[in-house]
Amino acid sequence: MLDFNALISTTPDTLTFNEQVLKQINSQIANQLNTGILVLDADFNIVIWNRFLQVHTDKVAENTLGQSIFSAFPELPQRWLSRKFSSVLQLNTPSFCSWEQRHHLFELPHTRPITTDSEFMAQNCTFLPIETDCKGKHICILIEDVTDVCHYQTQLQKTLAKLAQISRIDGLTQIYNRRHWQESLEQEYAKSRRHGKQLSLVMLDLDHFKLLNDNYGHQCGDMVLIEVSALISSLLRVEDVFGRYGGEEFAIILPETSLSGAIGLAQRICNSIAATALTYKDQTLKVTVSLGVAQLSAEEVNYEELITQSDNALYQAKALGRNQVCSTACSTSLVID
Amino acid sequence: MSEFHLTEDQQDCLQELINIAMGQASDQLARYLDTFVYLKVPNIESVDAKELMHTLSQQKNTMAVVSQGFFGYEGIRGEALLVYQEEDSGRIADLLGYEPDELSQDEQLIDISSILTTTFLNVFARQIDNQMSYNAPKLLPSAKDNLSEHLQQMPFSWDLALKVNINYQVTDYSFNCNMILLIPETAITNIKDVLDRILAEF
Repeated sequence: MLDFNALISTTPDTLTFNEQVLKQINSQIANQLNTGILVLDADFNIVIWNRFLQVHTDKVAENTLGQSIFSAFPELPQRWLSRKFSSVLQLNTPSFCSWEQRHHLFELPHTRPITTDSEFMAQNCTFLPIETDCKGKHICILIEDVTDVCHYQTQLQKTLAKLAQISRIDGLTQIYNRRHWQESLEQEYAKSRRHGKQLSLVMLDLDHFKLLNDNYGHQCGDMVLIEVSALISSLLRVEDVFGRYGGEEFAIILPETSLSGAIGLAQRICNSIAATALTYKDQTLKVTVSLGVAQLSAEEVNYEELITQSDNALYQAKALGRNQVCSTACSTSLVID
Repeated sequence: MSEFHLTEDQQDCLQELINIAMGQASDQLARYLDTFVYLKVPNIESVDAKELMHTLSQQKNTMAVVSQGFFGYEGIRGEALLVYQEEDSGRIADLLGYEPDELSQDEQLIDISSILTTTFLNVFARQIDNQMSYNAPKLLPSAKDNLSEHLQQMPFSWDLALKVNINYQVTDYSFNCNMILLIPETAITNIKDVLDRILAEF
């Protein structure tokens, strides 16, 4: 049983003994801590290290104690860390290094080798100024293993990114959903107005989609939506924003694109789809689309008006017999066609 | 007037302590940076929680906020926030004597904040016969939107904030940032006791 009165007794004999006991207790705590402890002198030579570091570095004490920290741990960024050490010594203030900015300083193995993807232990390091009775200051380095924190934080970030991605995607066709597409249009509209850049919009609709569903079933309809989406995606540039607007209606935002450029693309889409034979349960399906194209002009006061323009053109393409492209300048484009 | 407000004497005393602390801290800093550091007399305001939230939400182009907890004896503890505007951040690496490719912008901000906070609070603590320990400094995520949210989610409810406007001029360019010390209710009572003790000694 530990007798505290004996420990703090002040008679000279017991004091020496108790200092010895305290020293033993302190050193045992230091050696059983799951934190690395390293003490350096003012020339950055290693004076003390605890068991944690000894077992994790697999270095021999005789070869490590007395050595410069930079030769014992050549992986350390010497110039930057020396500057940090000198701030601790000179300003007499603690300094810190977090895994969030630097994953690790010391290349130490960690205890979760299978479930984490990093080779080395993620660390939070603290540098503390130490003053003793003897001349010369020291620096104590505490090295905490935060591999778990780092691992879970990284997982969380990945999950959040995935969730953000899912919230933008249409589950069936894997293209952007209506909400994200509309947000993108709002942004592109603002950008185009601010920088005076061109902006075009294509709205398209599958012809007689209801018949397809009625004759072959909804699974067939789904297959067609998936195939058509993939085909259109393959014809677009990276900066184009392709989304599912409603049931069988799609929309494409074309930044920095003129009306003629947009009509050209719409025509290619129209041709490709009409030329592609889709089969469902050994039956060949005839799938075509109608497309309406509009370019942003000085007239529109918001992005919704641009949608209306393309929608009107799409309506006209339907009225003129489907499987064709119409634009806001439709009479001209009809003549060309 | 709330019971946490300082009397005029207490306020003067605190300002004096902060002036001395800031002066000594910048002297140490100048020697560490090995350059001439000119410090304008820090402009100190004590603001209540509501007022601070309002001021901070008005600041349009706050770029970054670094937070660092501190704790000393006699229940003196709190959190220091260093608030940087976009134009303040350009040459922090120069100021610290680092090469730009040695560390990220985030790490530079954290380093300078930690040095400013700890040198200042160490001197301040010594003047009131105290000693401070510190948490690791943390960069608040995307400070632009989240500063007032962070203030609402503090682990303690705080009623008084000391806003210390620090303006360092280092040789050929100036460096600005705001240091905000958030101090919880219980710590204020303790600080007032300390201030009264100092005032009684004069």
